[in-house]
Amino acid sequence: MEELITRIKMIFSQLGEQVQGAMANVDTSQAFLNVVNVVLPVACGILRIAAVVVAILIIARCLLSLFREKPGKEIWGWLAMNDGTRLDLCHWENTVGRGRWADVDLNFPTVSRSHIALLRDAQGNWKIQPLQTKNGTRLNGKPLRHIVPIHTGDIVELGGLFLEFYAISEEEEREQAMRWGVAERPLSPARTLGFLTLFQIMMCVQCMPGRDVTQLAMLGVAYALLCAAMWGMYVLYRSLKRTAFEAETMAFFLCTISFSITAAYAPGSLTTQCVSMIIGIVLFMFLSLLLRDLRSTVSLRWPVAILTCLLLIFNVLLGPRIFGAKNWIDLGFISFQPSEFVKIAFIFIGAATLDRLFARRNLLFTVLFCGFCMGCLALMSDFGTALIFFVALLVIAFLRSGDIGFLALMGTAAAGGVGIILEFKPYIAHRFAAWRHVWEYYNEAGGYQQTRTMSAIASGGLFGKGTEASFLKSVGAANTDLVFGVISEEFGLLLALCTVFVLLVLTVYAVRCASTARSSYYVIAANAAAAMLVFQASLNILGAVDVLPLTGVTLPFVSMGGSSMISCWALLAYIKTADTRPNASFTLKLPKRIRGWIPTDNDQEYAIDDDYYGDDYDGYGNYEEEYYEDGEYDQYDGYDAFDAPPPRREGDWQIEDSLNSRRDPGAWEDLLPGPLWGDKPPPDRPSRGRRERRRRR
Amino acid sequence: MKRLKRRTAITIILAAALAAGVLYFCVQLIRNGSDWVGFFGTAFYESGAIYDSKGTQLYNGETGEYAADSNVRRATLHLVGNRSFGTSLRTVLSGRLTGYNFITGTALGGHDVTLTLDASLNAAALNALNGRKGVVAIYNYTNGDVKCLVSSPTFDPLYPPEDIETNKNYDGVYLNRFFSGTYPPGSVFKIVTTAAAIEKLRNLESFTYSCTGSLQIGDDVVTCPYVHGSNMDINQSLACSCNGAYATLALELGADTIEDYMKQAGLLESHNVSGINTAAGSFEKQPAGSLYLGWSGVGQDRDLVNPCSMLSFMGGIANRGVAVVPNLLAKETISGSPIPAALPGGKESYDIYSAETCQRLKEMMRNNVTTQYGQSKFGDLAVCAKSGTAEVGNGNQPHAWFAGFIDDPAHPLAFVVMVENGGSGADVAGNIAAKLLPLAVAE
Repeated sequence: MEELITRIKMIFSQLGEQVQGAMANVDTSQAFLNVVNVVLPVACGILRIAAVVVAILIIARCLLSLFREKPGKEIWGWLAMNDGTRLDLCHWENTVGRGRWADVDLNFPTVSRSHIALLRDAQGNWKIQPLQTKNGTRLNGKPLRHIVPIHTGDIVELGGLFLEFYAISEEEEREQAMRWGVAERPLSPARTLGFLTLFQIMMCVQCMPGRDVTQLAMLGVAYALLCAAMWGMYVLYRSLKRTAFEAETMAFFLCTISFSITAAYAPGSLTTQCVSMIIGIVLFMFLSLLLRDLRSTVSLRWPVAILTCLLLIFNVLLGPRIFGAKNWIDLGFISFQPSEFVKIAFIFIGAATLDRLFARRNLLFTVLFCGFCMGCLALMSDFGTALIFFVALLVIAFLRSGDIGFLALMGTAAAGGVGIILEFKPYIAHRFAAWRHVWEYYNEAGGYQQTRTMSAIASGGLFGKGTEASFLKSVGAANTDLVFGVISEEFGLLLALCTVFVLLVLTVYAVRCASTARSSYYVIAANAAAAMLVFQASLNILGAVDVLPLTGVTLPFVSMGGSSMISCWALLAYIKTADTRPNASFTLKLPKRIRGWIPTDNDQEYAIDDDYYGDDYDGYGNYEEEYYEDGEYDQYDGYDAFDAPPPRREGDWQIEDSLNSRRDPGAWEDLLPGPLWGDKPPPDRPSRGRRERRRRR
Repeated sequence: MKRLKRRTAITIILAAALAAGVLYFCVQLIRNGSDWVGFFGTAFYESGAIYDSKGTQLYNGETGEYAADSNVRRATLHLVGNRSFGTSLRTVLSGRLTGYNFITGTALGGHDVTLTLDASLNAAALNALNGRKGVVAIYNYTNGDVKCLVSSPTFDPLYPPEDIETNKNYDGVYLNRFFSGTYPPGSVFKIVTTAAAIEKLRNLESFTYSCTGSLQIGDDVVTCPYVHGSNMDINQSLACSCNGAYATLALELGADTIEDYMKQAGLLESHNVSGINTAAGSFEKQPAGSLYLGWSGVGQDRDLVNPCSMLSFMGGIANRGVAVVPNLLAKETISGSPIPAALPGGKESYDIYSAETCQRLKEMMRNNVTTQYGQSKFGDLAVCAKSGTAEVGNGNQPHAWFAGFIDDPAHPLAFVVMVENGGSGADVAGNIAAKLLPLAVAE
């Protein structure tokens, strides 16, 4: 036995000597390096293919989570008709009228197409706004000409039709959110994030070959920060009982790709990407919170507009003199592109609540503001961004007015404007001379970048050539303007197409949220933001490959650059706020937190925002001051002698009993199978038990 | 809100536009990716090398090296080329040299291409042209392998002449005359007229013609350089290339028939030689009974042929009516390894005339050599050929043609020699062929 042990020891010591000798031998270590040099590219190649698979998995999970169920309807109140029919109010802003485009369809000849609007605010206060004057509107028997509060039990008379208004109670709201939380649960975001982490590791490893120790350390720190930001945000969401993380996951996916191309080009620039991403996330949350209360949002429009204009004027007039660049502001420790932040402000100002959509000249302010921004951008020679603004304006204008003629008018005006610019500045036209003929200009300014991009994309194939072999990154502006080509060359066309697909999914997500969104402000903001992102992506991607002229705008989330990253996160906030799935967005308060928040004095509420409704009702005399400041509705001549909701007339309404039983503030759980959601209760999920337990705790 | 929901279609339209644009680009990528990768503007992707059949390196994409020998560089310039040469292999095969495929792009490395060509034979051919503009090409008519292909003028790619744009000697230097040139064929065209006569004229065996030096057609005359003799049969007429006899035949056959036979010979079509498209020839129909119809039967009117089509035509006659399209590529391997990177391309061919007609033409062309050009020039090679001296007018010397083949299964070679403004076909071009054929056979 001892002999055996001695022998084994001998064998090991011999082996050790051999290994030591081999390490000392230069040839052997060289051979080892050779093996590494052969193995590393193969390993990276396998990683690239695996990364594409994981990327597709992540996107598929996000898609599934977003679209596996039809968006459920929220019900915030209803109008009860004489015969007991209940007309649900599914949004915070509802139009009542005749025809299928009214949210509440009253098929009576005496009712106008858009007769009234019923508007709810974040605190649960309702108001009624007449939208026309032809067919009369009465509230509790009194003629109604202007926007006034409405309360449960009030009787609305539309062209001879009597309707009783009913708003859901606090308990019902909570119940609604809870039932819904059970019905619609997103696919486990943690698992998707796990895949995303795996993807991040894969991408990080791919950026490693050919880097020295400092760069490797930087790489590691940057990816660790990215990962930490992602999980940190998720933990924050969970602690705030928000569970939907799809839009954020997709944004982080794009950020990962952005980090990868940055790391492949210059690991030093990762710092900027990291910092700006974190700023972007903070801005994202801030905007989400700000958008909670649309009244204060809307009241901030003027200050934001003025600030934006000042920023632009400052940039145009003093930018070149102080910073040496027209579209940059360099504060020494940080430099940024103001135009990126103007995008955020533009949507902030351009979106509108429903009541404004029916006001005359409601677009004028937006059009003027946009015109000003575009003019400044043109002076900065930032025509790509100006074009994005124009398209965003078209989207906002169409959403607000639905008027195709207006779009055509603006299109014509823009074409004329472009014609004038080209007339006076022919060198701009020359920049586009190579468009669709780039191969003829392959060594000139007009086609140099596009030809290289197309070559690089083809060269990368479906799975890319790795970060080391890439040549496109050495072409000017590759990591911003030609980033689609860089991704294709280094990581493959499939991953580049994944990037496009994610942006498309975000757009469809924004559109889909429109059907259940509470306010038109959210719908317009989400759509304008999505339109901006997708149009900017079109300009970037299709410009780099000569389908469109090259304009030099960034690819959202992906292009290298801090300002762009920050503004993209902010735009994402607009998209996310439109999501009404329970527990999805910060913007939607959870019902529990609403309790105790409702100010008892409604009149105080109105005193805040005379600016809000003020500009809509010019020409109505002393309406603004007296109506709001005194808080006494009877002083307003359009609505005589209104003091308080009339006493309820017992027995008048067939549904009175059911209404009363619902208003019972007792055990709300008893109401679960109630008729609020019709005959079909939402489907239960197997996971319900666990959630239920947690809730009871 | 419902209205608003409907209006969000505008966002969907924008998204759809992006999707459509990307899709359009992907289709473009699938169709043109190979060209994009191989585009010379992106020197980054130049890889792969071109070798001749004996392993001489003609060009290496990674190092940018050409052949070591200056003569070889000059003699293979048009084939190897650079971006200025539209029909060069570096242009045409750029996608293959980079090793491009749609799935892996160029990630797997470049490809080496070995040609069927013998670079030393090319150099010899260039020497034989002796600075004159023209074309020399030799290929194996049974399998299509091109042995020799030279276009002149040329230059050394390492030392491009500074006066290349102004010097008249470099006119059309970027043109590979073999693929892209079209020339009046002169008397070589008489083979086409003969073929038509063999198949269309029943009394051809009894055809005789007495040459007086000129033939009256209407008010005009078709002339011969000298009086060829009397009572010549068709064999003699072809051998001494009597214009009068062939004008008579042409008038009898008519423009439609001649055009039809030119077409059957493949002289009016463009052929694809290893990815390089050749220029198509042309034939202008002249009214029946006119002087021009007579001249067109002689190959002197406005008929134009391409040297490459002429070479395949010769090969077709030798190969009993099946013309094999020339082929330049012997093999394609992954760079630095013997691993094949592409399947060998199958030989392409097209039918010309019937085997009997070709046999008859072969005999007549053999007769040309033995009775007219002199067998002694070619040693013991069974050369069948036809010369051509194509007048070009404007006081310039005529183009000299000499085209034919060796009728020997051991050396199945067809050839075409064309010297621009060279003078007499049989002498100038014939002598070049006589110099090169023994070298080609010796391979």
